[in-house]
Amino acid sequence: MISDRIFGLVTVIVALAYGVSATSIQTSFLADPVGPHLFPYLIAGVMVLSGLIVMLRPDPDPEWPPMRSVGALAVAVVVLVGYAYALRPMGFLIPTALAAGILSYQISPRVVPAAVTGVSLSVGLFLLFKYALGLGLFAVPRDWLG
Amino acid sequence: MDVFANLAMGFGIAFSPFTLMLAVVGCFLGTIIGALPGLGPSNGVAILIPITFTLGLDATSALVLMTSVYYGAMYGGRISSILLNIPGDEPALMTTLDGYPMAKAGRAGDALVLSGVASFVGALLATMGLMFLAPLLSRIAYQFGPAEYFALYLLAFCTLGGIASNNQAKAAIASCIGLGIAMIGLDNQSGMPRLTFGHLHLMDGVDFLVAIVGLFAVAEVFFFIESHGKDTSIGVKLEKVTIPWRDIFATRWTMLRSTVIGFIAGVLPGAGASLGSFLAYMSEKTIAGEKGGFGTGVAKGVAAPEAGNNAAAGGALVPMLTLGVPGSGTTAVLLALLMTLNITPGPTLFTDRPEVVWGLIASLLIANFVLLLMNVPLVKIFVRVLQVPPWVLLPGVTMISFVGIFSLSGSYFDLLLMVGFGVLGYVLRKLDVPTVPIILGILLGNHMEDSLRRAMVLSGGDWTYLFSSAIAIGLWIAAVAGFVAPMFLRKVLKKPQRVTD
Amino acid sequence: MTISIRTLGFSAFLIGAAGAVSAAECIAPANPGGGWDFTCRQIGKILHEIGQESAPVQVTNMAGGGGGLAYSHVVNERNDDADLIVAASSATATRLAQNAYAGMTADQVRFVGAIGIDPGVIAVAADSPYMSLKDLVDAALADPGSVAFGGGSAVGGFDHLKPLMILKAAGLEDITMIKYIGLDGGADAVTQTVGGFTQAMTGDISEIVGFLKAGEVRALAVLTEERVPGFDDIPTAKEQGYDVVAGNWRGLYVPRGISDDQFHAWADKLQAVADSDAWAEAMAANGLAPFTMVGDDFQGYIDGLIADINQMSRDIGVIQ
Repeated sequence: MISDRIFGLVTVIVALAYGVSATSIQTSFLADPVGPHLFPYLIAGVMVLSGLIVMLRPDPDPEWPPMRSVGALAVAVVVLVGYAYALRPMGFLIPTALAAGILSYQISPRVVPAAVTGVSLSVGLFLLFKYALGLGLFAVPRDWLG
Repeated sequence: MDVFANLAMGFGIAFSPFTLMLAVVGCFLGTIIGALPGLGPSNGVAILIPITFTLGLDATSALVLMTSVYYGAMYGGRISSILLNIPGDEPALMTTLDGYPMAKAGRAGDALVLSGVASFVGALLATMGLMFLAPLLSRIAYQFGPAEYFALYLLAFCTLGGIASNNQAKAAIASCIGLGIAMIGLDNQSGMPRLTFGHLHLMDGVDFLVAIVGLFAVAEVFFFIESHGKDTSIGVKLEKVTIPWRDIFATRWTMLRSTVIGFIAGVLPGAGASLGSFLAYMSEKTIAGEKGGFGTGVAKGVAAPEAGNNAAAGGALVPMLTLGVPGSGTTAVLLALLMTLNITPGPTLFTDRPEVVWGLIASLLIANFVLLLMNVPLVKIFVRVLQVPPWVLLPGVTMISFVGIFSLSGSYFDLLLMVGFGVLGYVLRKLDVPTVPIILGILLGNHMEDSLRRAMVLSGGDWTYLFSSAIAIGLWIAAVAGFVAPMFLRKVLKKPQRVTD
Repeated sequence: MTISIRTLGFSAFLIGAAGAVSAAECIAPANPGGGWDFTCRQIGKILHEIGQESAPVQVTNMAGGGGGLAYSHVVNERNDDADLIVAASSATATRLAQNAYAGMTADQVRFVGAIGIDPGVIAVAADSPYMSLKDLVDAALADPGSVAFGGGSAVGGFDHLKPLMILKAAGLEDITMIKYIGLDGGADAVTQTVGGFTQAMTGDISEIVGFLKAGEVRALAVLTEERVPGFDDIPTAKEQGYDVVAGNWRGLYVPRGISDDQFHAWADKLQAVADSDAWAEAMAANGLAPFTMVGDDFQGYIDGLIADINQMSRDIGVIQ
């Protein structure tokens, strides 16, 4: 119940914000009868309406994970974000081994299999991408190559 | 007849060694993708698209590869349904109902072979249906102006939204999220940037592949982390695989009926394979009555949903190719592939790019035979694949997703966006908000808006133009009905919950 | 506007991966499959085949801002890279003329040349009452709202400009009265025209070849100086009294900062491609007409073209 009420409220706020930012769209002066504003306004309108309906007629709450799992999910998100930033400057092998290892540990918390998974996925995928599929990947940071 | 001349040309393309190889590789990958729980066809096709794209395959090759994957996934979904009681993908849900009991009764091999044959019958006949029906549909191209297209897109949202969710308002929100994202970027009509906040990177809008991989693959990883991986050990024994001729013969009418039902469900925009297998199973259950013993591991209960879902998979290609409107979540992803390859699906596809269409159809016919071989005599290979534990599989899928998206644009911005979509997908699915309409919105948003604005240009701003033809009015009525009807039917056709055993 | 180039990452990534081998790179400022991509891939392939380039030319797709992203990338990041070529066409010139590249100007790169042209065309449905360009123009003059055009480019784009140029030449004052809808490519524009939703389509000849053969459309005019070989029965607009010439040429530009020798080396290579049989085949297969102009001549042509389009865009009110 409460989840859907919050979701509905967030939807309404996002939709209103979207509608407001759509007002600042510039129009070229060879405009068509409808212009570039109308459709975004329509979207925002339908979204506000649907958000209100969800607020007023909420479904039963889903089963949210316990705080510990939320923490684990937050860690996973941080790992993926870090991986996104690291992929280019750090080369493929090291960030991939780390990220895959951590994710593996999070799904099944055993250190050795997770470490093995991380390293072998990293090396295996590197070989696959680099040689079988011919993508241009760096193994390690470029500085190391001299 | 025209169809056969075209088909001959198609086979000319499909029988090149390279294309054949792609079909085989696609079938193999597809069956694996379908078989692995947590890696459904939409997921699998989505993460493979960026890679296909980076390989620089031409349009026909890429399409052959990906549709083979698509068909393969539909076949493969049944394997984990039968052996693990976990559907490999959503359409295979119904197969658990009789497949798992049959396997537990010591007939795992029979269940796999029978469902493999049923898949073959459904997919083969549906491909033939596609072959004859699609060119007919594409002839109405010239009847479709901006007003008709607008109504057609609306229909796609209404029916997909209506069926994909248990709550119409949530489906509408999902559609709006997708449509809203689609507005970002250069405005097609005036060429002015919209909602880019001065970011040059957003000028081209949000790449739908980023959204798809985020919403499907990355979100899946979060679910597995939350649940610490489901128990995926095989609980039933699979010994010798023999061909249960008697069961196959006994279910011949079931297969044919289910194929017809599945195909029709597939052709309807938005309905797709899940509905196809559901309707096929339910109608066979009704025909058999109480004495049929559905749910206890009977042959008809295994054959019906598999023929139905594979027929629907073929049927869903009809609206996707001829009208540019996907009939299911996975075809929405295939539509994304076509758009990436700069092929505009729609009525003109059959005249502009016959080599693409007929090469594809011929390859699908071949793929079916390849899949029959793989899924009946060689099925044990895929059973082994099921033993890959989720703590290896999911990190692997994530890394493939990252490299795939990274190779598309080389930008960490897209990767961050993808993670963001992953989080969004997780939260929305928790809240029972369907994510497929988001994809559909991103894919079709600009087309839908363009149709509306073109209609207004042609009519000089007269809104009644939207309802000025019989086709347009018919589509509007169907759209409203498709959105409203599930609210009433939901009480009648309550989807059965998964057997928890 | 903040200009942040992230897309270049992958190209740098690829080149880095290739190591010390300095293969030439061709940037197609769009996704695979379009005209720019075709230019890069064909020219890149032929350059290697005829031995002008020792290694195959690396094609990088850098879609964004209608070519603006690639343009600013070249200007800001690769200004002295002699191994870089970028696909260009009339669309590049049109956008530069309409200042659609966020303040960047045509003199920030060097245009090497064009080696093929897709002639502009005006076509109607086979059952249309308009038998000649004059019929169509007269109808538009009598009632500007009665003739709607469909084309493959956005409002204000090159396909939109073509009929406006003709009508302007015919003396129509208020050009904004003419209805134009921008569709997703020429094929869609033809379909809408055959279906009767638009009265005429404006595009390139390659876009209507299939429909011409099928007898579904009638080409009223090609926008060239002379009739196009292979399409000899289509009259030019010029011979019907409207002096409008417009075609979509396919060519290349290179960074501004390279030396004159390097520039001329590229011009010579491009000339070699133009003279090759492989290019002749590629043109025939894709409906392009011969149009070769390389080196300093081409730079002059571009300058004139941009000035013309700019003037025209002002006249008809596409830009202020």
